[in-house]
Amino acid sequence: MQVPGLRRLFHWRHLRTVLQIPLLIVSVAMILDGLLGPSLAPKNLATTLSWVHFRGALVLVLLCAGNFFCLACPFMLVRNVARRFFHPRLNWPQKLRNKWLSVGLFALILFCYEEFSLWSSPWWTAWLIIGYFSAVLMVDGLFKHASFCKFVCPIGQFNFVASTISPLEVKVRDLDVCDSCATKDCIRGRRAPGPDLVVVQRGCELALFQPLKVGNMDCTFCLDCVHACPHDNIGILSRLPASELMVDPRRSGIGRFSQRKDLAALGIVFSFGALLNAFGMVSPVYALENWLAGILHVNSEAPVLGVLFALFLVVEPAVLLGLAAWLTQIWGGSRRALLPLAVRYTYGLVPLGFGMWLAHYSFHFLTGLYTVVPVAQSAAARLGWTVFGSPRWTWLGIPMRFVQPLEIGFLVLGLAGSLLVIHELAVSDCAERPLRAFTPWAAVALVLWVAAIWMMFQPMDMRGTFLAG
Amino acid sequence: MRSGIALGVSRARRSRILAGFACVAVLFASGCRKPIERQAVVAIEYSISPQPVRIGPVVLSVKLRDAAGKPVSGARVGFEADMSHPGMTPVFGEAQEVAPGQYQGSLEFAMAGDWVVLIHVTLPDGRTLGREVSVPGVTTN
Repeated sequence: MQVPGLRRLFHWRHLRTVLQIPLLIVSVAMILDGLLGPSLAPKNLATTLSWVHFRGALVLVLLCAGNFFCLACPFMLVRNVARRFFHPRLNWPQKLRNKWLSVGLFALILFCYEEFSLWSSPWWTAWLIIGYFSAVLMVDGLFKHASFCKFVCPIGQFNFVASTISPLEVKVRDLDVCDSCATKDCIRGRRAPGPDLVVVQRGCELALFQPLKVGNMDCTFCLDCVHACPHDNIGILSRLPASELMVDPRRSGIGRFSQRKDLAALGIVFSFGALLNAFGMVSPVYALENWLAGILHVNSEAPVLGVLFALFLVVEPAVLLGLAAWLTQIWGGSRRALLPLAVRYTYGLVPLGFGMWLAHYSFHFLTGLYTVVPVAQSAAARLGWTVFGSPRWTWLGIPMRFVQPLEIGFLVLGLAGSLLVIHELAVSDCAERPLRAFTPWAAVALVLWVAAIWMMFQPMDMRGTFLAG
Repeated sequence: MRSGIALGVSRARRSRILAGFACVAVLFASGCRKPIERQAVVAIEYSISPQPVRIGPVVLSVKLRDAAGKPVSGARVGFEADMSHPGMTPVFGEAQEVAPGQYQGSLEFAMAGDWVVLIHVTLPDGRTLGREVSVPGVTTN
């Protein structure tokens, strides 16, 4: 980066640890308060920080900068400490070297969020964090490199997809320098001379070879490559947001987007899941759930939610994307088969999906911005620390009337980004008739955008179960 | 090719570390239950109307009785209503004593969803009591 001081900061070897330590402390505080503190979610650090502040800050940082939350990930700090004692010996299984597992886990977390009303349960939220720490230790305790980040972590996958929209990227400054580089430390790392080959600096644990790396997909911003490069040729550089979605080169550690069905599935869960997650918090969802419960003759929420998830994450994408792919084939004259076409253009919906996540999470974050203050005061008071004063429960956040226009702005931005990406894909696909290839996918984006806008103007309704109402 | 940071750690030390982790896990699992609340000497009865509860104003009635069943007068009764989702606007209200031991106040539910009403009672002798009342499924009008 050309900002004075930042380049030195990002080259500082201990930057990651310094960012991770506060987040680890906060995570431990969240676990303890979740297990031992008040059971009422708005009074508890675990729920307030997880579901209001963490998610909101995450999407805003991804929008304005990049995947800095993976950089500061506290789970990795614990993993790194654990790896001082336990050396993983296994390689991640070949059959699982894709995103299918993490796509499933991502969808499962969205499902559990609704099924167990995680937002209202400090206890379950605390156990979710504990589960996360345990999973990291288990996976990365057994398997080499950053297997958890690349193949398992649902939050990481969310960040990878969202960071394709980010304006910053870890990349090479001058490719000519890489051409003349003999050591390739950015991927191999550096080892101390001697028989033990002790690693003194890791290379990229996610198998991203910098000269062939394109975009932010799979990049945790860990800066290992920055520290490893002996030529100081890797940095955090600016770029056109979403530009990596408009091209389809062979990417190091990933391959071509258009040939990755698993990545497209991740894009679908990301984009359609954004709408589904928001839909779970407005009144019409309960009418739909009640209707479905009547049809299915069930009294529990899980099967109804299961049907709803299947409809939104499988049937709806299959119908919309299948139809658009078919129209692109017969109308636009694309020579690709239906599935490769659908895979290719799915990435065009990512900006819109990100716009929806932004609108949703920033709403909770901004309208509840200051609520962390009384919750933290209250937690401190329970420990006998009265220096922070009595909790100011009337501290809330930015009024809704200011936040709502911002939400619409995020959605408009998302739609504009999607249309731009789809247009670029259409131009490169059907140079003779790009408009004909563009139109069906633009229509899909527009349908989803109208649905998102409609949802935004629905009355909010946050219930643990539709059966109660 | 080896990866990770190679530092020598003996098997015995690893076992001790594992045992330490196991102890911490057991402590977490066994020690994180909430303490049982002491039985209040004053009974708090409450009701909310109208039913079913919808967005808008609701009336909360609270009756306080001591161990002998006699009404407790002169208490200060306040309400705080929170949504089950963190970060949402809480609502506050105060109750007035409308008859000996009977208090009434109003709250305005601004949003549909699950609410939790906290009844805060300060007795004439300064003791404080609380009651958490779940109000699930507040619907739109």
